[in-house]
Amino acid sequence: MIDKPSRKFSKISRIWRLCQKELKETSRDRRTIVTLLLMPLLVYPLLSMAMNRYLLTTDSSSDVVYRIGVGSDSEGNRLDAMLSSDDAQPPEAILRSRGGEPATFSFFNTQQRSDGPPLSPVQALERGLVELAVAVRPDEEGSTTISIKSFAADSNSLVARQILVERMQWLNLALAERAAADTNANFRPPVNVELDEVGTPKDSPILATIVPLVLVLMTITGAVYPAIDLTAGERERGTMEALMASPVPRFYVLLAKYFAVVTVALLTAMANLLAMFTTLWLGGLLPLLTGGDSAFPWLAVLQILGLLVLFSGFFSAILLSLTSFARSFKEAQAYLIPVMLFAITPGMLSLMPGVQLTGPLAIAPLINIVLLARELLGGTVQPAAAGAAIVSTIGYAAAALAVAAKLFGSDAVTRTSEHSIASLFHRPRKAADVPSPQAAALVLALLVPIYFVLSNLLMQYLGGIRADMLGDAAKLSEIQSANLQVQSMILSAAALILVFGMVPAIAAWFGRNRPVTTFRLRRPKVGTVIGACVIGLGAWAIAHEAFVIAEWFGIGGLSEERIAQTRDTLKAWKLVPPWILLATLAATPAIIEELCFRGFLFSSFRKVLSPVQTVVLTSFLFGLFHVLTGSALLIERFVPSTLLGLVLGWIAYRSGSVLPGMFMHFVHNGLLELVGHYHEKLAFLGADFDNQTHLPPAWIAIATSIATAGALIVWLSTRRSGNIDIQSDKIEDLRRST
Amino acid sequence: MVVVTHPNARLNSIEDMLVVESLTKTFTLDDSDLCAVDHLSFRIAPGEVFGLLGPNGAGKTTTLRMVLGLLQPDEGYAAVDGIRTADDPIGVKARLGFVSASDGVYPWLSVREMLLYFADLYDVDPDVAIQRCQDLSRLLGIEALLDRRAGTLSTGQRQRVTLVRGLIHDPPVMLLDEPTRGLDVVGVQTIFEYIEHLREVGKAVIVCTHRLDEAERLCDRFGLLHQGQMRHIGTLEQLQSSTGQPHLVDMFVELMRAA
Repeated sequence: MIDKPSRKFSKISRIWRLCQKELKETSRDRRTIVTLLLMPLLVYPLLSMAMNRYLLTTDSSSDVVYRIGVGSDSEGNRLDAMLSSDDAQPPEAILRSRGGEPATFSFFNTQQRSDGPPLSPVQALERGLVELAVAVRPDEEGSTTISIKSFAADSNSLVARQILVERMQWLNLALAERAAADTNANFRPPVNVELDEVGTPKDSPILATIVPLVLVLMTITGAVYPAIDLTAGERERGTMEALMASPVPRFYVLLAKYFAVVTVALLTAMANLLAMFTTLWLGGLLPLLTGGDSAFPWLAVLQILGLLVLFSGFFSAILLSLTSFARSFKEAQAYLIPVMLFAITPGMLSLMPGVQLTGPLAIAPLINIVLLARELLGGTVQPAAAGAAIVSTIGYAAAALAVAAKLFGSDAVTRTSEHSIASLFHRPRKAADVPSPQAAALVLALLVPIYFVLSNLLMQYLGGIRADMLGDAAKLSEIQSANLQVQSMILSAAALILVFGMVPAIAAWFGRNRPVTTFRLRRPKVGTVIGACVIGLGAWAIAHEAFVIAEWFGIGGLSEERIAQTRDTLKAWKLVPPWILLATLAATPAIIEELCFRGFLFSSFRKVLSPVQTVVLTSFLFGLFHVLTGSALLIERFVPSTLLGLVLGWIAYRSGSVLPGMFMHFVHNGLLELVGHYHEKLAFLGADFDNQTHLPPAWIAIATSIATAGALIVWLSTRRSGNIDIQSDKIEDLRRST
Repeated sequence: MVVVTHPNARLNSIEDMLVVESLTKTFTLDDSDLCAVDHLSFRIAPGEVFGLLGPNGAGKTTTLRMVLGLLQPDEGYAAVDGIRTADDPIGVKARLGFVSASDGVYPWLSVREMLLYFADLYDVDPDVAIQRCQDLSRLLGIEALLDRRAGTLSTGQRQRVTLVRGLIHDPPVMLLDEPTRGLDVVGVQTIFEYIEHLREVGKAVIVCTHRLDEAERLCDRFGLLHQGQMRHIGTLEQLQSSTGQPHLVDMFVELMRAA
């Protein structure tokens, strides 16, 4: 027998040897080397040349000279005299507040060109020889009319026009002030402006803007090829079957592959950054990148290296989870292209000013690390938000890896890709008990766009009705707004039925899935239903607390505007008969959402996932769909809805049926709506539901005990049925025996 | 040796190293069901070479995949050294050596690196693995290839490397799936010698093939598989007396005609 520590050590060294193999395999591949080295060696010098060219043409905005075309020398001289007089200079305060130097103008008599035939000033403007065409006409009263023509498509021309107009305005003003002082000895300008500032000038260096985008692009570029090669490539090389036949935990194999992909992604991004810095340094452009500082930005380089690990770790895991799903190189590429396009969008965020790493953005996948990179390099990062971003990213990567380990080699030996895709659009002749996971994925993919379209149409329609009702009045009357509210509730319920009811129903019909097993319509025990209802009575407090806690962590939380909207909704609820509230906002969601999430999706996922995984996945999706509301993302709904989904999923698992969950869902929603409706009547309880703070401890204690009691009833009532949730493969036996 | 974890795992006598009992697999196609393997049962003792024979699509490969745990059987079980695949898949895989004609190689690794990689996959002690790698390479005459990149090997060389790979963890049971496919005379001869070696060192061997002439020379016992069902099983003499045909080929022609 080998003693434990050395056994453990040998396990680690085994995994390390597995890692080495993957690394060797991918690093000897010529195609890896091409992306790793050749790209940065070629791309950056070329990019830098292009950038130099760009800088040469648009550079030196401070001492730019605007060219003005005039029709005669006298016009030019007159304009020059006006512009260069002290009176026409912008006042000190204006100049300082803009932080610039006064612009300069030069004048061209376009009728006497040294390098071509005479042109009118307008013709010269049209040919781009001057920024402005100006005609100067003195009139009899001693005043001068200046007509300015600018070129609408040229931003320089528009800037020149604005400056010229302002200069003339200063001239007028200076002369007017002097005239006022002449006639009135007591004349003082009504306002004097003094300027001062605190802090140091914050020009966000290009480094902070451009590096996150480069990181996104380069870590993806680096990870794509090894990710495909080490997963889908195994199948293509014919080594997958032998690999799957070996007694190694799949997770070890995947961990080794992950290590190799991260390494290559890391090296690629480092090679790219090195090439980028070297090119800029050689081109003398480094100060431009670092915001004026000519010293080499060592701290920034260290920060970037840390970020690189994060980016590579994240992308490698995401890409591996997708390529593990693919059965061939081509299929893997098809999956990755949308991901790459998708990833560039958050990358672009780093170019947008004003977006900050706070609130829900701190845990939004990818967006959070892009923003983290920008704020870290810009020196404005908040430690708490950075911590949330890093921890959540590690979580996402781990989740993606777990998925990859599950998928990798799961059907090492069978089926071609054509079969599985075609079968989705081909109605089988044989009935099946539960929908396939592919069918569930397709349903999910359809739910999002259909729901989006339908709910947006709904809102447009309601907006139209509101406008009609409103007519010329400034505000809807009470009856009108109650009417509108009823209509909107009924239509929303209809939309819910159409989307979350009909889409799974059609999918089940098309796939010839038996309704009882697909939607898990087993008759539950009376005790389970009672227990579920009791949980529903207590669950709202937990959901509320989850909401407050989530807000405290900066996930979600309500803006002032959203609170005002919620208040309006509550006000409207009071006008609506309670039975309509219950029918549209409690009964319909309870039935439809349970059938969709704890019925169709649950039974389908359960076919391939463990009970815990199924419950977690369905509740995550449940939470996600509560965030989507058509027009806006209500991120604050995610945490409470997911938690509720977990409870509902647990009940569905214990009871093997969708029905107790419906009852709990109904009681939970109904309770909230009735509280909203009878808000004032409940005020004596000391409740203030508008207030986004914790509930009184006594309330929490009572609600928690109610929910716990309910859970206990559910548990007791389902205790004797053994493995309560019937696994799909056992359904067949059950069906045969009855 | 791995400790048997399941209390009821040891179900059969040691005599049968591999037991296949009532193994059944049905594939669901778009419109119909295909029963690839239909209540298949057989047993193999150590030192015995069993030929699982049948035309293309008879269910040979599906059977091997169920034994390996790559496919879940709908019914029945396979047990290696008394351990059922479903009870301890890792333990069963560790006791099986698997060689298939369609096995690929890692083109960028050297032959030695690839063999040692598989030794790691099978959790063989690194020092032992190096020694076994040497010994087996000598046995199959691939010593000169050990430091070549696997991508540069010819078909025959590749097949020999795959044979070494299947034995790197010294499994008591070997599964050979069409081991002679695509090989020339010399290549086939190597396979024959290899199987002879396996018999000598007391491995239980399954050879799946549709080359009946080869099987006749190689195997101790035969199972004739057709449309997923075991039609005949026994030694050549037993088969000759039960079918009245002198050669396996004739037995098969008869079988397929009847179907």
